Amino acid sequence: MTHLLVEPFQVAFMQRALLAVLVLGVLAGAVGVFVVLRRLAFVGDALTHTVFPGVVVAFLIDQSIFLGALAAGLLSALLLTTLTSNRRVTPDAALAILLTSFFAVGVVLVSRVQSYTADLSAFLFGRILAVSWAELAQTLVVAVIVLATLVALRKELLLRAFDPDGAAAMGYRTGVLDLVLNVLIALVVVAAVRAVGTVLVIALIIVPAATARLLTDRVASMTALSCGLGALGGWLGLAISYDVSIERGVRLASGATVVVVLVAFFLVALAVGPGRRVLARALGGAAAAPSPPGAG
Amino acid sequence: MMEEPATTTAREDAATTEALVIHQAAVAYDGRTPVLEGIDGVVHAGESVALIGPNGAGKSTLLKAVLGLVPLVHGSITVLGRAPLGARRQVAYVPQADTLDQEFPVTAGQVVLMGRYPRVGWVRRPGRADRQVAAAALEEVGLADHGRERFGGLSGGQRQRVLLARAIAQRARLLLLDEPFNGIDALSEELLLAALGRMREAGAAVVVSTHDLALAHLFCDEVCLLNRHQFGFGPLATTLTPDLLRATYGGHALQLRGDSVILAQP
Repeated sequence: MTHLLVEPFQVAFMQRALLAVLVLGVLAGAVGVFVVLRRLAFVGDALTHTVFPGVVVAFLIDQSIFLGALAAGLLSALLLTTLTSNRRVTPDAALAILLTSFFAVGVVLVSRVQSYTADLSAFLFGRILAVSWAELAQTLVVAVIVLATLVALRKELLLRAFDPDGAAAMGYRTGVLDLVLNVLIALVVVAAVRAVGTVLVIALIIVPAATARLLTDRVASMTALSCGLGALGGWLGLAISYDVSIERGVRLASGATVVVVLVAFFLVALAVGPGRRVLARALGGAAAAPSPPGAG
Repeated sequence: MMEEPATTTAREDAATTEALVIHQAAVAYDGRTPVLEGIDGVVHAGESVALIGPNGAGKSTLLKAVLGLVPLVHGSITVLGRAPLGARRQVAYVPQADTLDQEFPVTAGQVVLMGRYPRVGWVRRPGRADRQVAAAALEEVGLADHGRERFGGLSGGQRQRVLLARAIAQRARLLLLDEPFNGIDALSEELLLAALGRMREAGAAVVVSTHDLALAHLFCDEVCLLNRHQFGFGPLATTLTPDLLRATYGGHALQLRGDSVILAQP
């Protein structure tokens, strides 16, 4: 077991990759709790696409890809909050419009560039093994900002998630709280997109939190579990992909392996956890019936 | 920093007997087309008013207008001598328990503690004093032993009592309850009414929307008859009359033996 879990991390690039997945696992796990409780999985998914034009523009004008993604992520979080606060635009329509328009702008821009294909595949699938110290530092800064905000506003975000009318009646500006949460999701997407890619980043946010929800009925323990599972899944996934790629000569993409491990955790929790009870209730109730993404 | 000032001005003292003053109010979600018009009435401290009317009559809308969440297009609403938005710290809103997500992972005790959040303020955690207030509030509604249970695992009546406990923990002077007696058990109804009665004795004013005329008779001093506009506002004896009820409910009122009315809800 030490062979699998410790040995791969003797080389510097694997150490950086490990640090990155541990930080991202905790970060995405923490934000994921609120994403799951608010049923905002599709918002996270949309934000993974809306950062795309930012990445392309940054590439075109030779600026930091991180800053480009950040700008596009923040802009789409702001537009999303504004659009969904309009009573006549439903949240799912607002999401679909934002997702497709941003992505289309990105595609239009990228089609004008010849040399972009390599970077495009990095954007889609991530390149965790190529994380630099500078990128790691950026991820850490984002993690500190996001986690500090979550700790500071956990009461208010919890109240708004549980009882939006009650929160508004108590005088909280729910629109502002929604904007804060959307920005936090955007920040996590931006921080994680380089490591695991736009296709998989949403798994990092949703799967550990959904797994934790199956195992506990308390928000505090759900948060601890979600962060722990996110970090553990990152470590295990990285170690397994290294082991299989190097020792057995079958190349496994690291980001995708992390996601597969996280989903395995979820399936185990589904099979053995007390959550079977929670799930049975959820499937029995109309509230959790299968619905188009973004309906919640 | 979030506590209300210990001393009040003389002007506010004079206004305290009038917990809620509604003057010729019309409210509209879009700020133009009123969904509720001609609302006029006063609720004093310690009094209780039932909002009566069919589904879709605008009872919930009126409660939201008192909270300042729906704009007025005409007239005025004054809560404890102030505009609704300025008085929200003194007002507690009790939603219908069924409207909240029963799968949400919070305990009954946590829900009650939420009533303390505005006083706790940003960033800080609820302190021991807040926990004591929350525990006492749960005891008020007969759920002292249920604080650690999951909110969604309680019965409908118990959940409604937890939400009243949250309002008690808010220490509000005006309580707004949206259909609190819908589909709850007899014990919960009794305990809710008892707790509300004690709050009124302590000087709180209560506005409750309900379908249940018998409960309105039992608990309220005054009624407000609503269906898109106000059909009557006043003491039970002069307002809960067959004529006014028939006017409010349209075809759904049925008269029995001269003075009793049964309402067939659609």
